[in-house]
Amino acid sequence: MTIVYVRWGGLLIAAMILAFLASQNYRQSLASLSPKEVLEALPQGEVRVLGRVKGRSLSGEVDEGHAQFSLAGNEDELAVTYNGPPPENLRELKQLVVIGIWNPEEQKFLAREFALVTNYGFVLSAYLIGLLPLAIFLFVMERKVALLYAEIKQSKLYESDVG
Amino acid sequence: MIRKAIRRIQRYKGWFGGAAALCLIVGLYLGLLGSPPDYYQGEVVRIMYVHVPLAHTALFAYTVLFGGSAWYLWKRDPLVDNMCHAAAGLCALFTTLALFTGMIWGKPTWNTWWTWDARLTSFMVLLFILVGYLMLRTFIDEPEKEARYAAVIAIVGFVDLPIIHFSVEWWRTLHQPQSISMRGVSISSGMLVPLIAMSIGMSFLFSYMLMVRTQRLYLTNLLNAKKGRLLSQFHLSKAES
Repeated sequence: MTIVYVRWGGLLIAAMILAFLASQNYRQSLASLSPKEVLEALPQGEVRVLGRVKGRSLSGEVDEGHAQFSLAGNEDELAVTYNGPPPENLRELKQLVVIGIWNPEEQKFLAREFALVTNYGFVLSAYLIGLLPLAIFLFVMERKVALLYAEIKQSKLYESDVG
Repeated sequence: MIRKAIRRIQRYKGWFGGAAALCLIVGLYLGLLGSPPDYYQGEVVRIMYVHVPLAHTALFAYTVLFGGSAWYLWKRDPLVDNMCHAAAGLCALFTTLALFTGMIWGKPTWNTWWTWDARLTSFMVLLFILVGYLMLRTFIDEPEKEARYAAVIAIVGFVDLPIIHFSVEWWRTLHQPQSISMRGVSISSGMLVPLIAMSIGMSFLFSYMLMVRTQRLYLTNLLNAKKGRLLSQFHLSKAES
């Protein structure tokens, strides 16, 4: 029985390390700021900003990859100038992530790329629902097999009852 | 012959478990950290690395059940019947999990949890067949009759497998067509490697679970049979005295 618990303990530790690495990775590479946080912090390097494209604010040659619009958060909004490949996800009232740098001289956010809003909840729940029942089911089965072996051994039922 | 093969494979049970753990850890690492996000779906595409292997394994499990049932009807080997019983329970588990993870993937991509699409419906029919199979095994008391009827249900239910496989080609469906087929591979290598690692890992995991569950059913039957024999001996000796 001890070997079952030791094996499962090892697997649990491996799963926890993997979960920690994944959460750290997403926190570092996919974390996004709100328009209000950008205006307050005035970040130097490239950042990801999450907001909604304000209605009637989109202008420029969107199909050519040049656009200007306001990105609204809950409290503040950010003037954005986009120059990059023709965007497929850019439209008014669309919630998206804008990747680029803040230009303090022009008081504008210079975007080079768009990304979709990350739905961590769906990914996390799919992995938990997909893998957790399998692990629990297997653990219960292995434990039961070990218990059955112990029961058979203790009751000496494995000995032949012929003769 | 198949009895010998089952016993021989059982000896390597630990290797199957180890291979499953290794492939799944590598697959999860690559799927969650190493693979790129999809252009249209973004990060949600990572659900593919758990949903698709679960669905593949469910179909693999049913194929094992079908093969075992056909063999049982031919040779009437109780060990193979035990394996079929174990495979059916596991197949039901994998099918249910594939359906649930598919629903979670469907919400952000199709904006609905469920739709009566040909692929989804035929997969749900598979679950109903398995539930019917397991109910039949629970409600019939006579072991030989139970095994025979269950084998017939499993063989008839196999009709659903080609329907599931070809549903995305035969009908216009919301479900995307196969990414890996005879025509080629339509996903990037960055996504293909974790998908293959997870699929192989799930297949090893199913094989390992099948061995453990078959062993469990065998030991339970053995214990019950021995207990029953001891009990009848006790009654006989009491009646004689």
